[in-house]
Amino acid sequence: MSLDALAFWVLAVVLVVSALAVVLSKNLFHAVLWLALALTGTAGIFLILEAEFLAAVQLLLYAGGIVTIMVFAIVVTERLVGESISQTNRRIVAGALAVAALAGIIVATIWRQPATAAAAAQTGDITRNIGHAVMTRYVLPFELLALLMLAGLMGAIYFARPDD
Amino acid sequence: MGLEAYLTLAAIVFCIGMFGVITRRNTIGILLGIELMLNAVNINLVAFSRYHGDVTGMVFTVFTICITVTEAALGLAIVILLFRIRRTVMADHLDLLKG
Amino acid sequence: MMDAGYVALAAPLLHVLAFLILAIVAPLRRLGRPAAYVSILCAAGALAAALNAWRAHAGDQISRIVWTWLPEQGQSLATIGVLADADSTVMLTLVALVSLLVQVYSLGYLSDEPKRALGRYYAYQSLFAFSMMGLVIAPNLLQLFICWELVGLCSYLLIGFWYQKPAAARAALKAFWTTKAGDVGLLIGIVLLYRQAGTFDLTELQVLVANGALPLAGLSIITFCIYLGAVGKSAQFPLHVWLPDAMEGPTPVSALIHAATMVTAGVYLLMRTAWLFALTPDVLLIVAWIGAITALLAAILACIQNDVKRVLAYSTVSQLGYMMTAIGAGFAGAGFFHLLTHGVFKALLFLGAGAMIHAVHSNNLSDMGRLARSMPQTAIVFIIGTLSLAGIPMFGGFLSKEEILGAVWEGGLVGPFIILMLVAFLTAFYMFKAVFLAFFGLAPSHASHAAPSHPHDPPASMSLPLWILALLSMAIGVYFTFTHPEPEFVSPGWLMPSAVGVAVAGIALAWLVYQRRAISADGLARAFSPVYYAAENKFWVDAFFEKVVARGALAFSGAVGWLDRYIVDGVLNVISAWTLTAGDDLRGLQSGKAQDYVYGVAVGVLVLLLWVQFA
Repeated sequence: MSLDALAFWVLAVVLVVSALAVVLSKNLFHAVLWLALALTGTAGIFLILEAEFLAAVQLLLYAGGIVTIMVFAIVVTERLVGESISQTNRRIVAGALAVAALAGIIVATIWRQPATAAAAAQTGDITRNIGHAVMTRYVLPFELLALLMLAGLMGAIYFARPDD
Repeated sequence: MGLEAYLTLAAIVFCIGMFGVITRRNTIGILLGIELMLNAVNINLVAFSRYHGDVTGMVFTVFTICITVTEAALGLAIVILLFRIRRTVMADHLDLLKG
Repeated sequence: MMDAGYVALAAPLLHVLAFLILAIVAPLRRLGRPAAYVSILCAAGALAAALNAWRAHAGDQISRIVWTWLPEQGQSLATIGVLADADSTVMLTLVALVSLLVQVYSLGYLSDEPKRALGRYYAYQSLFAFSMMGLVIAPNLLQLFICWELVGLCSYLLIGFWYQKPAAARAALKAFWTTKAGDVGLLIGIVLLYRQAGTFDLTELQVLVANGALPLAGLSIITFCIYLGAVGKSAQFPLHVWLPDAMEGPTPVSALIHAATMVTAGVYLLMRTAWLFALTPDVLLIVAWIGAITALLAAILACIQNDVKRVLAYSTVSQLGYMMTAIGAGFAGAGFFHLLTHGVFKALLFLGAGAMIHAVHSNNLSDMGRLARSMPQTAIVFIIGTLSLAGIPMFGGFLSKEEILGAVWEGGLVGPFIILMLVAFLTAFYMFKAVFLAFFGLAPSHASHAAPSHPHDPPASMSLPLWILALLSMAIGVYFTFTHPEPEFVSPGWLMPSAVGVAVAGIALAWLVYQRRAISADGLARAFSPVYYAAENKFWVDAFFEKVVARGALAFSGAVGWLDRYIVDGVLNVISAWTLTAGDDLRGLQSGKAQDYVYGVAVGVLVLLLWVQFA
């Protein structure tokens, strides 16, 4: 077993376990922390796939930004309600059955196809390539993305502003 | 390591996220499930990009991450607003559209 | 040189031009008299065009102009155009002439009408003339049917011209519905014929018939359906009931529509399709017998009428029966000939009656009397018309009537022939009854009416058309008394003297009863009491329609209404109730919770994936 494979399996186990913990944990605060772990694990997967830039973005935005916002939201809502928000699930059996069946079919479909060839050879610096693509071919989506984020920012401010 | 391994991992994480979306009572919990699902999508995109030697998948991963962040920020703002108006974060109680 | 067909086309187009001007330029219409002048001017132009077209087509010359109206896969499903030949152009001339004279006459007759009503009247008149001419020159059955319905509409509008009068409004409706009953038959016949032959075009149909390419199976039904249309329009028994009531309209309208032109459309239609009817002798036999019966019943009814217009109306019905009998005997030419002469002298009679009515302000014969002294011109022209109708030599109807009798005899229809001879006698009798009562005999008992001012001859606008028609009747009579057109058949030598003798006998009887009073009219009525009684009740035809047909229709519509209300609506109500219940039950699915919808999406994707995998 190569080093890559070993790293993949370890990260995969971490990812699945932390994901399960996110959806099953009774304590919402813990769930957020488990999410942070899952996102970090994903960054590791990106590293195995030699996408260092994406791994860095993942860590910065997700594990850094989103988790912070989530924690902030939990704190705010708890303060407003004045009690600790405990997590409970509903309809666990029906949901689990449907989701498991879905997962089973998808995985079966994936493995029925002939195996894809090994990873293509890496040409040049991936980060450089991404930057080049974003600034040339995908410049319009990129600009639109900027607009979207601006709109999202304004919307969030509008929603969250105190009552007049 | 084949592509199938990454796809399988992504599928499992996706389904776990969906399980969270369906079963969580707390709206913040639902948002966490959505984050997991999007994350799984990112894994898929990067894996395909890597195995096809095409950088497009990674570019879109960048886009997805940005959109996800926006979504999370807006989603949380909505949760807080809902909370302020309805005094609850429980999705069970939000059934104004009941037929 | 212009195609002669376009000349024929100009006549209806001039009339429709007048109609459109009057219809669109409302201020002109409301002026009354100027509107009348526009219409009369166009009518005069139309008469000139019709005369030219007649001259151009006098021989065997035929012009056919056809435009595609409804194209269908390269060829045309329906066409519209002109078919001008000797028959249609002479009919065109008759229509143009009578409508022009009637329009001139109406200037005097309707001089008391309000201006708006006069403008409306002339608009209707122009529309009618256009439709009738369109019917006459129609090259195919579809255009003919459209114009057929248009003249029906104009008839309705003009009978109901005094729509404030309940009787007029009722009569208009009755005329419309009764003719409509026949029109449905005509429409069915035309459509069936199209299915059989694949064309509406008269010329193409004639070629098919000549080549024997038209299947004979079911043709009797088709011709009978077409005949039904003629029964309604030409007031044949039992659908004749509308024509006497139609006399509620202004008298010039009766002269134009209900004597000279529209009611003869049925005869014209049968004449135009005579080659088709020739294939179905059984239907022709029905045509002949119904025609004879109509002629007899109407003649008997005419004898007991006191209203001068109703006498003329029943006389028209009777004469239409004459024409139909000739067509039924297989000699459409004879019927058409009588149609033309009858159009001239019956218009004359109606216009003369209008002059009398205009003078004494009453339709009733008992309110008239000794009018010959005060209105000599009217008396002369009316007597000319009466002699024409009676079939006296040197007068308009002489030869055409004899032609019909000869045709029926030649056709081997002895029964109808005897009936028609009897009718000839009755015709002379009732017409001279009217003449003696109105112009000679006793002065009316003025007690019954607010004494009218001294009756006098009508103004020039009315007397001019009268004289033109009277001279024309005379001219036709004199011309045809001396120059016999080459006949389709040879009538037996005894026919002419006996026909004239019968007419003279009728005149003599009328003279004895109503002038000399040698025979009591009441005694005569008693002698024929069963017939008199039946005639008093109009042979129960109206009663039959009222009691049986109307009640039957009411009962039927009641049953249909019940079916609609309880069966059709009931089924719909049950279905809608089910829909409501089902919606109420399914409402529970909409929990309003976002997660349930996500769950639904997940299950949906699952089902789709399974389907893709295993199906």
